[in-house]
Amino acid sequence: MRIESLRLQLLGWILLPLAVVMGFNVWIGYGAARRTADLVTDQLLLASARSIAEATRADVGIIEATIPPAALEMFDTGHHDHVYYRVQTGAGRLLTGYPDLPLPREPATEARPVTYAGIYRGGAVHLIAFSHPSNASGDDSSVLVVVGTTLNSHRAMTRQLWAHSFGQQLLLLCAAGILALVGLQRGLAPLLRLRNAVRGRGRQDLSPLSVGSVQSELRPLVGALNDHMGRVQAQMAAQRRFVANAAHQIRTPLALLSTQTAFALRQTEGGERTETLKAVQVSTRQLARLASQLLTLARAEPGSRRPRAEPVDLAQAAREVLENLMQAALARRIDLGLEVDETVEGTALTRGDGTMIREMIVNLVDNAIRYTPEGGSVTVRVECAGDQVLLAVSDSGPGIPPAEREHVFERFYRVLGTSGEGSGLGLAIVREVLDSTGGTARLDDAPEGGLLVEIKLPATGVAGRS
Amino acid sequence: MRLLLVEDNRELAGWLARNLRLANYVVDVVHDGEDADLALGVTEYALVILDLSLPKLDGLAVLRRLRQRGDLVPVIVLTANASLSGRIAGLDEGADDYIAKPFEMEELEARIRAQLRRANRRADPQISCGALSFDSNTRLFRLGDQPLALTPREHAVLEQLLMKMGQTVSKAALSESIFDFDNPADTSAIEIYVHRLRKKLEGSGVQIMTLRGLGYLLQNAD
Repeated sequence: MRIESLRLQLLGWILLPLAVVMGFNVWIGYGAARRTADLVTDQLLLASARSIAEATRADVGIIEATIPPAALEMFDTGHHDHVYYRVQTGAGRLLTGYPDLPLPREPATEARPVTYAGIYRGGAVHLIAFSHPSNASGDDSSVLVVVGTTLNSHRAMTRQLWAHSFGQQLLLLCAAGILALVGLQRGLAPLLRLRNAVRGRGRQDLSPLSVGSVQSELRPLVGALNDHMGRVQAQMAAQRRFVANAAHQIRTPLALLSTQTAFALRQTEGGERTETLKAVQVSTRQLARLASQLLTLARAEPGSRRPRAEPVDLAQAAREVLENLMQAALARRIDLGLEVDETVEGTALTRGDGTMIREMIVNLVDNAIRYTPEGGSVTVRVECAGDQVLLAVSDSGPGIPPAEREHVFERFYRVLGTSGEGSGLGLAIVREVLDSTGGTARLDDAPEGGLLVEIKLPATGVAGRS
Repeated sequence: MRLLLVEDNRELAGWLARNLRLANYVVDVVHDGEDADLALGVTEYALVILDLSLPKLDGLAVLRRLRQRGDLVPVIVLTANASLSGRIAGLDEGADDYIAKPFEMEELEARIRAQLRRANRRADPQISCGALSFDSNTRLFRLGDQPLALTPREHAVLEQLLMKMGQTVSKAALSESIFDFDNPADTSAIEIYVHRLRKKLEGSGVQIMTLRGLGYLLQNAD
């Protein structure tokens, strides 16, 4: 399961290493407790052995071992430990005690008592061997005292010591956890405030968030957020401007229609009326074209359509477009032609949104047909030029003066003195499509005398951009 | 009544003018701000219909210059920008009325009539001089109970004389109000129209007097 809460994650990362460290500490504590218990047991054993040794005296040459009761009672700590002892002369003659109690592997001297572990009567025992000089001579000049005890008391002491240290560590861990939680709460407060600020905003509110109380690590995040909101805001403003502009552009043709119908209604004579109605029809078509161009432009806007990157054959696309526009060209007696070299056939490939690229060509050719006087010519040429494919539309129309050329790609821009036909959107659509496909457009004088529009798009495989 | 129509959309301008001429107005049409400014400087119009988004010189600038010259001609602003700030800007620059595209022809014409009435300081749409009466709403003349049939030019001359009833109207002023840019003024033609009008008004008691060197005067002889 993933932990979604940042607070819990951070708390986890603080407490987990702390717990590991404390676990290690507890393990070390166990060893220390056992060593302490060892030491205490050894001291007890030594004290017991000494008192036994001191009670062992030679009386008229005969060594006698007496076990003082205190030497055994000191082990009575309530843990029912068994105490074993063995007293023998240096030569190995048993004086008293358990004859099979294990002896140390190394010899014990008076200065150095030997402590060792052993097994006796099926149980683990702690033993001490202690050598003590006797007042007898010869083989009996020293006495070896061995005292052993079972480990019940030792274990209990270890447990008790260790449990105490474990409890302390646990308490420390809990305290650390609570403190960490409080710290996190305080530390994360600016982040949570930021979250609330973002969540509590109105749908329209895209003003930048204040960086004020946010930590330096979070500032880039707030910056990025503000940046993003800025872009959204700009996009929305552009969108609003476009809608306002579109509404503005649609009002004039509507006023025209209304004026024409008013005129038609006032005509009593059939002929004049018919003529006016024909004009109404033309205006309606223009309005329809404006509406469809506005729609195309809205679709060409970034973000309004899923980006597509399909291979598009420019020659093929141009052919389709020209076939569709042939009627319009014939109606105006315009010689509409396509020039595609055989070597270019099938190789003028680019990547992009096929529908939008065709729409772009429609607008280019449609513009050319519209502005070329009757009897003129419009030529579309497709070429491959290195890592680019080229589409050129040239006409024998009036062209565009150089001073106007940089403006004609702006939306709703109309060249002064042009007839009421165009909407000022055709080239804006072209630019929008080029922006999303990564192409460029150039305006120049056509050899035929009119306008030449040259579109360059990246060829597939060389600069394919999605 | 000679009007100036300033509208950059040539089609709309053309059809508006056709409608206005049908209602017996004399209409000059220009398509940009500079031409409008020029026309307003040399001709005295009864009313101006002004689109605000104009090439070369913005409609508001045309309006500002017009008012700076002290010209009080009624101006109806025509614009596709229906925003409140746009309307306020137009009115503040001295527009008398405002109509947003798209509009109904009838409404525009009603507003034109209202502005003309105000300019001529008449509350009553009915103007009469003896037996001759003119309804500025229907824009028709009547003589007694009968409608008076007039050609557009005759209509323009008689309307101008009736509006200035009791005052002398110079030949030049008359010719300016009936001829537009496409039909250059011809002062001698005025005499012909006056002559025809006199014939149509014969026996009604309404007379067009000629004041030599001054012009014409419409009055009721009874």
